[in-house]
Amino acid sequence: MRPGTLALLGDAGLVRVPRAAPLRTLTRRHAAGGRAGELWAGLHLPGINPEKLQQLAVCAQRFTPRVSLAPPDGLLLEVQGSLHLFAGVAGLRCALMSECLRLQVQPVLAFAPAALAALVAARAGKPLAVMDLAQLTGQLAPLPLAPLRWPPDTLARLARMGVRTIGAALRLPRAGFARRVGSQQLAMLDVLTGRTPEVRVTFHAPERFRRRRELSCELENHALLLAALAPLFADLGAFLRARQCGVVELECRLTHRHVPATRCVVRLAAPATDVQRLAGLLGEHLSALNLPEPARACELRADALVPHLPGSNGLWQPGEHGGSAGNEACGLIERLRARLGSEAVHGLTRLEAHRPENAWAVTGPPPAAGHRGAQSGCCADAPAAGRRPLWLLRAPQLLCVRDGLPRRRGPLRLVSEPERIETGWWDGGEIARDYYTAVDIHGVRLWVFRERAAPHGWFLHGVFG
Amino acid sequence: MKGASSGAAGAAAGREGLPAYAELHCLSNFTFLRGASHPHELVEQADSLGYAALAITDECSVAGVVRAHMAAKDRRLKLLIGSEFRLICGLKLVALAIDRRGYGRLCRLITRGRRAAGKGHYSLTRAELEAAGLEQCFILWLPAARPSPEELRWLAGRFPGKVRIAVELLRDGSDRERLAALVQIGAQCGVPLIASGDVHMHVRARRRLQDALTATRLKVPIAEVGLRLYANGERYLREPARLARLYPRELLEATAELALGCSFSLEELRYEYPRELVPPGQTPAGYLRRLTYEGARWRWPDGVPEGERAAIEHELALIAELRYEPYFLTVQDIVAYARRQGILCQGRGSAANSRVCYCLGVTSVDPQRGTALLFERFISRERNEPPDIDIDFEHERREEVLQYVYRKYGREHAALAATVITYRSRSALRDLARVFGLDAAESGRLAKVMQWWDGSAAIPQRVRDAGFDPGSPWLARLLPLANELVSFPGFPRHLSQHVGGFVISEGLLEELVPIENAAMPERTVVQWDKDDLNDLGLLKVDLLALGMLTALKRAFTLVNDYRGTHHALGQLPAEDPRVYAMISRADTIGVFQIESRAQMSMLPRLKPQCYYDLVIEVAIVRPGPIQGDMVHPYLRRRCGAEPVEYPGEEVREVLHRTLGVPIFQEQVMQIAIVAAGFSPGEADALRRAMGAWKRSGGLDPFRERLLQGMRAKGYPQEFAQRIYQQMLGFGEYGFPQSHAMSFALLVYDSAWLKCYEPAVFTCALLNSQPMGFYAPAQLVRDARAHGVEVRAVDACVSEWDSTLERRADGEPALRLGLRLVKSLSQSGVTRLLAARAVRPFASVPDLAIRAALDRGDLEALAAAAALVSLSGNRHLAFWEVAARERPMPLGFAPGRRADLEEGRPLLAAPTEGEGIAADYASLGLTLGRHPLALLRERLAAAALVTASELAGARNGAAVRTAGIVLMRQRPATASGVTFLTLEDESGQVNVIVWERVGRAQRRALIESRLLEVHGELQQQDGVTHLIARRLIDRSALLGELLTRSRDFH
Repeated sequence: MRPGTLALLGDAGLVRVPRAAPLRTLTRRHAAGGRAGELWAGLHLPGINPEKLQQLAVCAQRFTPRVSLAPPDGLLLEVQGSLHLFAGVAGLRCALMSECLRLQVQPVLAFAPAALAALVAARAGKPLAVMDLAQLTGQLAPLPLAPLRWPPDTLARLARMGVRTIGAALRLPRAGFARRVGSQQLAMLDVLTGRTPEVRVTFHAPERFRRRRELSCELENHALLLAALAPLFADLGAFLRARQCGVVELECRLTHRHVPATRCVVRLAAPATDVQRLAGLLGEHLSALNLPEPARACELRADALVPHLPGSNGLWQPGEHGGSAGNEACGLIERLRARLGSEAVHGLTRLEAHRPENAWAVTGPPPAAGHRGAQSGCCADAPAAGRRPLWLLRAPQLLCVRDGLPRRRGPLRLVSEPERIETGWWDGGEIARDYYTAVDIHGVRLWVFRERAAPHGWFLHGVFG
Repeated sequence: MKGASSGAAGAAAGREGLPAYAELHCLSNFTFLRGASHPHELVEQADSLGYAALAITDECSVAGVVRAHMAAKDRRLKLLIGSEFRLICGLKLVALAIDRRGYGRLCRLITRGRRAAGKGHYSLTRAELEAAGLEQCFILWLPAARPSPEELRWLAGRFPGKVRIAVELLRDGSDRERLAALVQIGAQCGVPLIASGDVHMHVRARRRLQDALTATRLKVPIAEVGLRLYANGERYLREPARLARLYPRELLEATAELALGCSFSLEELRYEYPRELVPPGQTPAGYLRRLTYEGARWRWPDGVPEGERAAIEHELALIAELRYEPYFLTVQDIVAYARRQGILCQGRGSAANSRVCYCLGVTSVDPQRGTALLFERFISRERNEPPDIDIDFEHERREEVLQYVYRKYGREHAALAATVITYRSRSALRDLARVFGLDAAESGRLAKVMQWWDGSAAIPQRVRDAGFDPGSPWLARLLPLANELVSFPGFPRHLSQHVGGFVISEGLLEELVPIENAAMPERTVVQWDKDDLNDLGLLKVDLLALGMLTALKRAFTLVNDYRGTHHALGQLPAEDPRVYAMISRADTIGVFQIESRAQMSMLPRLKPQCYYDLVIEVAIVRPGPIQGDMVHPYLRRRCGAEPVEYPGEEVREVLHRTLGVPIFQEQVMQIAIVAAGFSPGEADALRRAMGAWKRSGGLDPFRERLLQGMRAKGYPQEFAQRIYQQMLGFGEYGFPQSHAMSFALLVYDSAWLKCYEPAVFTCALLNSQPMGFYAPAQLVRDARAHGVEVRAVDACVSEWDSTLERRADGEPALRLGLRLVKSLSQSGVTRLLAARAVRPFASVPDLAIRAALDRGDLEALAAAAALVSLSGNRHLAFWEVAARERPMPLGFAPGRRADLEEGRPLLAAPTEGEGIAADYASLGLTLGRHPLALLRERLAAAALVTASELAGARNGAAVRTAGIVLMRQRPATASGVTFLTLEDESGQVNVIVWERVGRAQRRALIESRLLEVHGELQQQDGVTHLIARRLIDRSALLGELLTRSRDFH
């Protein structure tokens, strides 16, 4: 292609190139794309999930310090400086591909002197390796426009003019193109061909807290262990304060001489910053633990950091003057969990359903803070609300029958009229029962039912308080 | 407590001593998505349980009562008419009509409530209830869960002596408590108590369906409906023994007493014809006579022939005897209005082809031209039902006629009949899938597998095709419910408006039947459908829309303007042999009625030679004659391959015009009279049963009577069987000669135009779209095949409609109109035409600025290649159009300079394929080559032959071809066979897909746009069919070509 046919090269300056939104200081660390002497590897990773992309970016830092994410499915590496380490592009391609293979992702990989060009070629499924900026436009020309990911109606409009490739778009007059398609798109073409440098944000691995302490002597006593962890907690406190972060999960690892390390994990109902409290909770956990051997070293790990703004402390005591008791409850719940295990503590909620089995449900951890007002007065509308026992058996219990009446430690006396419930056919849990309140010989009020279908068994389903 | 297990023996023994019971609060499925049983099911169940009476009390509606009434008449069960209401304040009650006046007021109240709210809803206040004048109604108070004595006191004060407290004990565990509370309130207010059941279904087994309907109504998956479902299935018609255990005896007995106090029956409704039509001082009879003879002088300018005069006198006498004058005057008035407005119309139907209607201008069927059928065959003395006349109008102008009727008679006296929309397989599956929690997309997927022709038996197989496992538990629960919804007679889902059936009455219509709002503004419908109206003998005039009349009107205007002629409907040169020759070649694309594929394959066999042959042609390709196996005998006799014989002397008279083969509905009726000894009244009952046997199930009683009667008169059993089969076939599609005769007139006129003025005819058809069987692409292709020059859409020349342009040789060329351009606004075109009238456009920007077109309209024009004369090719047009980002402020046109600076862009010209694809996408047709011409090389390489090559192949040859699917048809009469029409650059191929082949290759059959077919060629009487063996979807070859097939029922 003769340079003269490229209208793009003709009338420079007609269109101003907008910069990327927040203007950062262009230091050597975050920066650049399309400068002379750069070479970008673009990876297109269709269908990759964000965690995996992150993971791959971390690994990619082995090849170059200048890694840049192009979410949701792209990754860019500036590799000019690393080429010699891998004996050129072919070697680097090999190394990168095997790294991807290890992480079980299948990328398309292209090389170009401009970051966007490498990415677009990869998205188009072309594993190009363009080393020279002068050749870039010619190589890009036959590629379709779709990998530029312009809005569908922009692409459709271009298609209606017969413009379906990058080359056809580049052949159009600049001003006319900007007017019809958009100046942003024109700017993007300039970035694509390396006319304008591109600002790319360099990837940084996410922060996490890890501190380890070798113990001077092997320890088994929980209190001493906790004391040995104190400097680590102090570090953690400083770390969290500096970043205005909290943790929702804290792991403590104790290393032994012969056996694998013991792990002890504290999960929190709400992000915590208070290391005293964290230390206290860990103490509870540790005391429930049987160590197989004395510990030689201990380590604190917190991977998931959550931004946290410190709240102001209330003037009132909890529960006083309508002050929320939420924090207290929170503390209680965490303590109960620490002692009984997370699974043993749950909430209860009432559901709108006719089937008694389905009229309540176990909820997850109750809300951490004080906003618990959602349980409105819906109970008033519930049918026969007064006649439901508080204690419902996990499964109805078959009762024996004599003379057509149920018995439980003696004959039962039915003291109410029947309440018929027939429902639940849609999920396989169909019931058809007549419920009664019954009184046993000790005067205990029971909730029993008789099956409507043969063999018409009698069951105990609940006990009134 | 023990009662629950009492045995059947006990119930039977106790029956004698049980108190009489009438259910007074019962909803049918006409309380849409609440009631779970049909009215007739409720009536039949109440009767079998020995109820003293049953009230149908649908919510603010009496839509289901006629059906209940007919069932109750059969069963001799006393039926009460009432309605349930929930006022805005929350007060719930049932009003039951005591007598005719009470019923009238009830209807008026329902009308008030319905008209005050949107379609399907109602809204009533206490003040409106109070003002409704329901003195002649019983009021049942339906107390809430916590009864409010205030409500009762209010009611008791307004309706003294008529209020009852409805005690509904539904085993929710608080029955005793509730009864005690109500007894106390009743004692305080001095209002008696009465038992009722809040019935929603006739048997307990409908509980699941009722739950599912509730979920559908609330638009929530059933698992989330929660307490808004009923806790149990007690809302059914309970056995009297069961009720006796639940209720105090006196509460039950009170129901029967109250029923005795209600005397109203729908039988009492008397219909009165409107009287406005007769000028003061004249009688209806005198006025009709005057109009008839005025018309006769117009029809026979040289004097009325003596025979006709006698026939007219005979008809007038019969009309007078039955006092049908107002009906004929009503029809005459509507037709006269249409004439005055220049709206083309034509009547048809049993009474339409009478001499009186001919004179009144209702129809153009010259009684001397067709067979003069006996007038008694249209209007019978014995039958107690009004005559039936349908009037077709130009489809685009029918609305004017409807509004005229509303204006003339007022909304209090005229309204459209309703159509009850019932569940079909597809809608049932979609709604139930939502009930089971599938999202919209999945429900759509499940529903979509059901083609419109599938019955309920096909459901499990189709469900499997869609990738659902029919054995999965939720589907196993869903499918029986779907079956209940679609099985006969179909569960009603909502009321819609009938296509054109008008009810007009002298008295207030709203005291006869409630009126509600239709979805369309300015439309009101009564709550009964056309069968209900028929059952009660109410007058109805069908005012229908017919696209062909619009097209004919346009064609006459065009041709008269172009050639200075005076052609008009029914006045073209009659019986032209060239027209019949064209018809006999099946060269009938665009011609009324005989353009369908089935008709086209019949034409070369039947070879119509005269008007009456067209009458037969129109009627013979119908379910009746096909199912009665009358088509082939007729064809054989016509070509002399079989002697014309009559199974008996009596039927010679009836059948001689159709060579001894019964083809028309009237003939079948007549045979029942002369050959099976039916009385005219019985024959009429038979006709009505024929129309409704699918609805009310079975012609069986008539079958025995018919077969026996014919046997007794010595007719062969086989002939009798065929007559009976034909009756079944007539069913819903009964096609009488009286309709066929009117239609045949339009067939002839449209065929004449096609034959002599193809450009005019095509132009008129294009301007009347959508109508008929073929899309513009086929119409234009056919016109070009007949030598019509068709010119492209051009923004510099085209009008909104397609137009005729005079060629150098004086013949018309057809210029396509801008109305064909997809997504071009009519207002934009109006501005464009106005700007063009000032001076021609110089360029695209000139056009864009002067016509003030927005980007959408400009792109639509560019897409249609309508700017090519200004810009060059389509790509350049889009380039120019794309520069018009937004409308420029007035007087400011900065675009020009920039355009000059920009210069011409380097854009590649579109390829031929791109051009054709773009033509189809924007216009639905192309004037370029057929898309398959571009693919021909590849197709030929795959040994696929063209349509024209097929025509030359021998009978029985194994062939392969491919074409664009124009149409898929699955006629109800063809027992699972699908007919396809494929098109390629050389013509069309008719493909027959037997059911077995279609089922095995269903996806290709249903989804292909370009279809490859391997099969066997069948040639018969000049008609070519391809019997498919293998179907292959080749749509991918079309790339972007957007050809959409049209599916027909």
